[in-house]
Amino acid sequence: MKKYNLKNSIQAAIKTNNNTPRCAVVMYVKINKEEEKTGLYYILSRLFLKGTKTRTSDEISDLLDENVIDISIDKKNDYFKFKLLCLNEDIDLGLDILRDIFENSTFDDLNKEVEKIKGEFEADLDSAKIKAQDEYYRTIYKNHPYGTGRKEILNQIDSITKEDLLKAYNEIKYNLPKNICVVSSFEHKTVLNLLEKYLGGLITKKSEDTRKIPEKLDDNIISVVEKEDANQAQIFQGWRFPSVYSEEYPVILLLNTIIGASGLSSRLFLELREKQGLAYTVRSVYEPNLLSGQFFVYIATEPKNIKTSIEGFKIEINKIMTELITDEELENAKNNAIGKRQFYTETNISEASLRGYYEFLGLGFDFEEKLKSKIKSVTKQDIINTAEKYFSQPKALCVLAPKKYLESANLI
Amino acid sequence: MEQLKKKEVKYPYLEKPVEIYERENGHKIIFAYKKGELINISSWVKTGSVNENDENNGISHFLEHLMFKGTSKHKAGEFDRTLESKGAIVNAATWKDYTFYYVTVPKGTSDKNFKDTLELHADMMLDPVIPDNEIGEPFDLNNPNITTKRERHVVIEEIRMRKDQPWTSVYNNLNYNMYTSHPYKRDVIGNEQIISQISRDSVMNYYKTHYTPNNITTIIVGDLNPDEIIPLVTKEFDFKGRLNYINKSFPKDLPTEETKVSVKYSQINTGFLMFGYLGPEASDIKNSTILEMISIILGEGSSARLYRRLIEKAKKPVFNVVSCDFYSFRDGGNFFIQANFKPDYKNEAIELIKEQVNELIKNGITENELKKAKKKLKACFAENSETVSDIADTIGYYMTVCNNLECVEEYVETIDKITTEEIRQAAEKYLDLNHAVISVLMPEE
Repeated sequence: MKKYNLKNSIQAAIKTNNNTPRCAVVMYVKINKEEEKTGLYYILSRLFLKGTKTRTSDEISDLLDENVIDISIDKKNDYFKFKLLCLNEDIDLGLDILRDIFENSTFDDLNKEVEKIKGEFEADLDSAKIKAQDEYYRTIYKNHPYGTGRKEILNQIDSITKEDLLKAYNEIKYNLPKNICVVSSFEHKTVLNLLEKYLGGLITKKSEDTRKIPEKLDDNIISVVEKEDANQAQIFQGWRFPSVYSEEYPVILLLNTIIGASGLSSRLFLELREKQGLAYTVRSVYEPNLLSGQFFVYIATEPKNIKTSIEGFKIEINKIMTELITDEELENAKNNAIGKRQFYTETNISEASLRGYYEFLGLGFDFEEKLKSKIKSVTKQDIINTAEKYFSQPKALCVLAPKKYLESANLI
Repeated sequence: MEQLKKKEVKYPYLEKPVEIYERENGHKIIFAYKKGELINISSWVKTGSVNENDENNGISHFLEHLMFKGTSKHKAGEFDRTLESKGAIVNAATWKDYTFYYVTVPKGTSDKNFKDTLELHADMMLDPVIPDNEIGEPFDLNNPNITTKRERHVVIEEIRMRKDQPWTSVYNNLNYNMYTSHPYKRDVIGNEQIISQISRDSVMNYYKTHYTPNNITTIIVGDLNPDEIIPLVTKEFDFKGRLNYINKSFPKDLPTEETKVSVKYSQINTGFLMFGYLGPEASDIKNSTILEMISIILGEGSSARLYRRLIEKAKKPVFNVVSCDFYSFRDGGNFFIQANFKPDYKNEAIELIKEQVNELIKNGITENELKKAKKKLKACFAENSETVSDIADTIGYYMTVCNNLECVEEYVETIDKITTEEIRQAAEKYLDLNHAVISVLMPEE
């Protein structure tokens, strides 16, 4: 992989993988300002494919589907990710549509899209897990956009106007930092020519991140969702953790592997599932973000097991905070974490997403190699220190279950 | 030295032909070359809920869980720990016609991880011991004092999880009503009553009956040398003279003779519905492909008919979500349309979908729609050739459900030959509304 500066100053990292039938282009656009209305950026991301000055919404979807071109715009906490994935023969058309939606979107279908979003979110919230997860994020990131879930968006969505969208769109177009990553079977020169031709008109600007840092949790918080016909309780328990820029990032990756992210051999899996038979799904998740990360443990279990499960979490978290892990466990965790990273670069699109993300973070597209080396140097003491530092902070607990089980677990 | 029958199959989008080896005992070994650091080893067994009855429904899936509970050589947990410490992804899945076990792992220096993985995988497939303390005692579901919980409780939690998923619930109801006598009628996972009571002996007997050489296909995908690895696979897969089992066949079910509607209720805020139709046997590649094309034209992507007409251009906001899918099974799969809708519009939602199906049967599709569906199917095949695990899954499906891999050689040609009229005729044959089963899940009143 090699990095180039396009004439418009946008950096493009390019890699050639021979004999691959599909090419991947990923562009990250950094979110530097808070959205003026809750849900604004999400609606914006949905409306990018709904018509431009030169193509109607139908024409865009016909072109994409007829040519099996996958263009999507994901809005995450810290960025918009524009993704293009298509057969090699369609790269020109794919890039032209990407250019068009970026430069010429009209956002005319706001009302219709709002109605669709409302319906889709209502349907999503009929899932017990999604409902509980939404509540969890709201709790762990109280009063911060990172905690915005479907429910808040549903509450606010009607206040968003086309003017709001156009203002945010112009911000994205003219003021926010951008970077591109392309992984395909094309030679670098070919890719560069294509990028100059189709994306050379984009503008990038370095600008300061003015978003507020999420406030720390002052105390433990419990939130509950009553659902009388739930067959399982959904339990999320989380702590605020540092961002991706932290020196502890590789340590936390290993901590997560050991606690609950390594598949069938993590501590939570072995203890709560294999030994105690409490659940089919139990795991931990670390989401780093730019401003503040969070780490949660999750279990779905028969409602009468709520207390036992929370106690099980407590035991495992206390253990990792107070007892040094063994050399063997550390070595296994390192090999697991490093080995699994091969999967992140197996396809052109996964590699473009990962390496483009590192560029977006300012860590360089080759950060993957540096990260592996950092993971190798983590010690047992690093693990216990980091665990102690963050797990001793206040935590957020969110439980969805029928009322009588929430009561018997003393949660309400 | 054991004689192996060897065949080669040209596989679209792969650099080299796929090699198929058949052993004297019927065990099949497939090798597909894919450049890269990752390798996939999987074994597909020709058994799933199709071989179950009302007394043991869920046993195939329960066995799948219990296969990870150790062997004579390796204790429970060793398999997972050893492989995951190499960065492997380890798992298994059970469906109507098959159960498969897989490991995807970086191949390691001098293919060391391949050799270690193969030994553990073959050992697990051939010598599961299923200790009593791992499976757990049978128990009374109504007894609140059960404290020792083991794998049978894990499976019961999985059943509970699925009950809380509205789409799963509405599909299971649809599936139950679509088939009359075929074992496909049953849900793969079974139910709590059966899993709480099933004995270790029943599970072991089921294993011995179905995990036979002729019923297993082992697939290796990766940047490896077949001349070196095939002898290793035959050595590790020593069935020690295990007898073969001839799978029972079941007569194909006939579609319902009149539209069958079933409505259930739950604490939800929106309505879920599915239209289901019985489809062709998986080995009928042409008609299966046509139904996949109909699924694309009707319900996949934002240009699909149902999305565009019922959501984008809708006169009234009836639907939140609408799409299609086709599940291919050995003895006849099913085609279904799924939708989420505003609950006040239940009858309209059903009628609107019926209108679209009738219109397809009456007027067929356009040349443009045909072209789109063809390109999409080919691109899907290209996509499924990008990872070692997707390649293995595709090969496993063809070998186990369709009983041959040769059909992939003609897959692209088969797609190219399909006409608009053939699609209309297939719609008429398979999607007749008199043969539709409709399953609805509504908010409780």
